[in-house]
Amino acid sequence: MPKLAWDAIGDRIFEAGVSKGVLYVQDANGTYPLGVPWNGLTAVTESPSGAESNKHYADNIQYLNLISAEEFSGTIEAFTSPIEFDQCDGAATPRVGVSVQQQTRRSFAFCYRTELGNDIESTDYGYKLHLVWGAKAAPSEKSRSTINENTEPLALSWEFSTTPHPVTGLKPTAHIIIDSTQVEAADLTALEDKLYGDATTGVSKMPTPDEVIAIFAP
Amino acid sequence: MVLSRRQQLQVLLEATVGPLVKVHFQPTSNLTLEYPCVVYELDTMVTTHADNRPYTVRDRYQVTTITQNVDSDLRHKIAALPMTAHSRHFQSGYLNHDVFNLYF
Repeated sequence: MPKLAWDAIGDRIFEAGVSKGVLYVQDANGTYPLGVPWNGLTAVTESPSGAESNKHYADNIQYLNLISAEEFSGTIEAFTSPIEFDQCDGAATPRVGVSVQQQTRRSFAFCYRTELGNDIESTDYGYKLHLVWGAKAAPSEKSRSTINENTEPLALSWEFSTTPHPVTGLKPTAHIIIDSTQVEAADLTALEDKLYGDATTGVSKMPTPDEVIAIFAP
Repeated sequence: MVLSRRQQLQVLLEATVGPLVKVHFQPTSNLTLEYPCVVYELDTMVTTHADNRPYTVRDRYQVTTITQNVDSDLRHKIAALPMTAHSRHFQSGYLNHDVFNLYF
């Protein structure tokens, strides 16, 4: 075994950026059949919670340390949202162009991409695809302000919580990450054809976690 | 013919200051200016990013009113334009200059 080394050339890896957001609104069957691009994506903040320690004592010692279930939530920030997201944000559209607020919020799935960089290839080193299922957006503040001499686009944000989706052989999850530097390129292309649509069908959809894992089966 | 954004700004400035005031875009050094006048130039481009790339790009112009009369209302006409802010006033010789930043 060679001696441990830190920060070797090519090992200085980092993550940066967020792009290629896609929204998939859940249909009546609980699937996510149609993806639409989410333009103007500026940030996705992942805020996992849970996994809290719950210590139990017996015989004058710490006898057990039970860990609570993990939950996945976060915040999406963008300059705009797809019109399909309105129904996920509590809006109904009884007539074209008429948006009635405070309605039932639909669940959605979401995917986005972050870049992987290193000291040799910078952000061309690779990327990660983040897939999120069972998300529900919470009402969020929108601060409108006057146009002044240097008007910035209104920054919108939506907090979301998730309901984990079943995964065969594993605990349910709402978040899967695919690392392009560790999977087969052909498998990654197959997944991206589903997520973004391919030239043949032009249909994009969010596969289930089991379907995603099956794509990368050896 | 479709006017460029810069040409649209020219039209806007001319309409704002009226026919008696010349509006010049980046005048050459051999141009003899007649006062009062408005001189403007492209100052910078302001970019907002999203999706790991520029999402919106807006031009910022530096607009300068030049008058012999310090009480001229020319600067107030420019100051009333949307997305405009006064930057500074200075005097050079007998000419009064008011410089504005204008996003268009």
